[in-house]
Amino acid sequence: MSDLLLQVVQGLSLGAVYAGLALALVLVHRFTGIVNFAQGELAMLSTYVAWQLLDAGMPFWAALPVTLAVSVAGGMLVERLVIRRVEGGGELTLVAVTVGLLIFVNAAAGLVWSFAVRSFPNPFPAALGFGSAQSGFSALGVLGVVAVVMLALYVLFRHTGAGLIMRAVVADPVSARLAGIRVGRVLGLGWGLAAGVGAVAGVLVAPLLFLEPNMMGGVLVYALAAAVLGAFRDPVVTVAAGLGLGVAETLAGTYVGFVGADLKVAVPLLVIVAVLLLPRRAAETAPER
Amino acid sequence: MSAVRRRSAAFPDGGPQGGNDPSAGGGPAGPPFLRVSGLRAGYGPARVLNGIELVVGEGEMVAVLGPNGAGKTTLLRALSGMVRGRGSVRLRGTEILGKAPEEVARLGVTHVPEGRGTFAPLTVEENLRIGAHLRRRSHVAEDMRRVLAYFPLLQAHLRQPAGSLSGGEQQMLAVGRALMAQPRLLLLDEPSRGLAPVTTRRLFDVLRAVNLHDGVTVIVVEQNAQLALEFASRALVMETGRLALAGEAGRLGPGRRVASAYLGPRR
Repeated sequence: MSDLLLQVVQGLSLGAVYAGLALALVLVHRFTGIVNFAQGELAMLSTYVAWQLLDAGMPFWAALPVTLAVSVAGGMLVERLVIRRVEGGGELTLVAVTVGLLIFVNAAAGLVWSFAVRSFPNPFPAALGFGSAQSGFSALGVLGVVAVVMLALYVLFRHTGAGLIMRAVVADPVSARLAGIRVGRVLGLGWGLAAGVGAVAGVLVAPLLFLEPNMMGGVLVYALAAAVLGAFRDPVVTVAAGLGLGVAETLAGTYVGFVGADLKVAVPLLVIVAVLLLPRRAAETAPER
Repeated sequence: MSAVRRRSAAFPDGGPQGGNDPSAGGGPAGPPFLRVSGLRAGYGPARVLNGIELVVGEGEMVAVLGPNGAGKTTLLRALSGMVRGRGSVRLRGTEILGKAPEEVARLGVTHVPEGRGTFAPLTVEENLRIGAHLRRRSHVAEDMRRVLAYFPLLQAHLRQPAGSLSGGEQQMLAVGRALMAQPRLLLLDEPSRGLAPVTTRRLFDVLRAVNLHDGVTVIVVEQNAQLALEFASRALVMETGRLALAGEAGRLGPGRRVASAYLGPRR
């Protein structure tokens, strides 16, 4: 029984990571209308930044804010240098650009850090130190950090002037420009925020998946499924979907014999297909936010 | 017409009134408030504005009339930077043609486009706060009181999303949001479109008050010629991308033969 509970907690923590990356996808989509297939690779890059800092002897909780700052700046840079050039292009153009970015970042990371698998330190203390209890605690830690990130996003968007300006840009970029809002900068900030949220997901999942350039490939699939469930706009549904997917994947992998470790990744794909097959209206009537 | 007379008293030299006089300006010295010269603009290969010459003095309220397709909307869009153009648009001597809309807005030009002045998912209060985002935070509360005094109807809906308001309320919110920015030049595109006559009068009363008391220069595109001529100090008539006729509103009354040729039948 306590084994089942542990599985659920672990599923939730994995799901929190999926939810984090899914939120990054939703952020980018709401700001710029783009599905950023490179979101996972940007998170991977952030994780390497964190690893480099840790390797240089920085304590984890000091390295995390530095990593976040670098990631936000990096996300803004990507928007400025790459995305702004293709803004307003067709949907296929944008897909091609972000997939190209995915491949480029992946290859570049392999070139710099090699494709060797590295271990990444677990930031959460093994408080009780014996067996399964440790993974239980680190799972709760992951959940806690993701919850803090979501709360911070909520406060930013709902209770600050900058958040109000961002929501105005999302609601109507043309009117926003007429109100004197520098929309280009706000869109860049949206990409930066998304990269920051993705970085948290990457750093949290690295101790579980190990650090290597392809580590986020699977996570991106789950995150995309969660974002699709949230219709790429509703953060609450997206987060719930991410958590649910994490639990479903963990439980299916453990308790459904034929799924096992190999077929786990099929779970989100089935979810995506199921959502797309639902009557169209269900997706269209998703609430505004 | 009392508006016109009162402003004439305020500017005994007749500066802002002298619409046909290119030397008219914001004061005895310095460049005019707004000087448009040789303005050409269009969409792709289609040229809509064919060389607009216009001087607007500070504190004027100018109506732009004319048939559909004459280029009235494009004129406003060119002034606010939404449409690229060639020629020159100078605001107090500063060239604003070629600047992005957000930069023009930051110079004090607020454009309320037709039927698109509000952020639908944001609440009424948030819309008003967006209007004031360039202003110091300490002024916002006072500005909000002032705007709500102009549009008391909005008071009851402050926490509602703007998209849930009626057309007339949304138009008032759009103008209210524009006023929150404390503009120097207010550009309005058919603010009366789709409004009940009573609501329209209320809106124009506010525009007149803003123009007279706050000294905001107003350029308003209006289909309802009679209304525009009643409230504006000067009227411009556009035809196929040019200013066909300009003059003091009083002299261009809808009863005149020359006016009816351009303005269509009386309403």
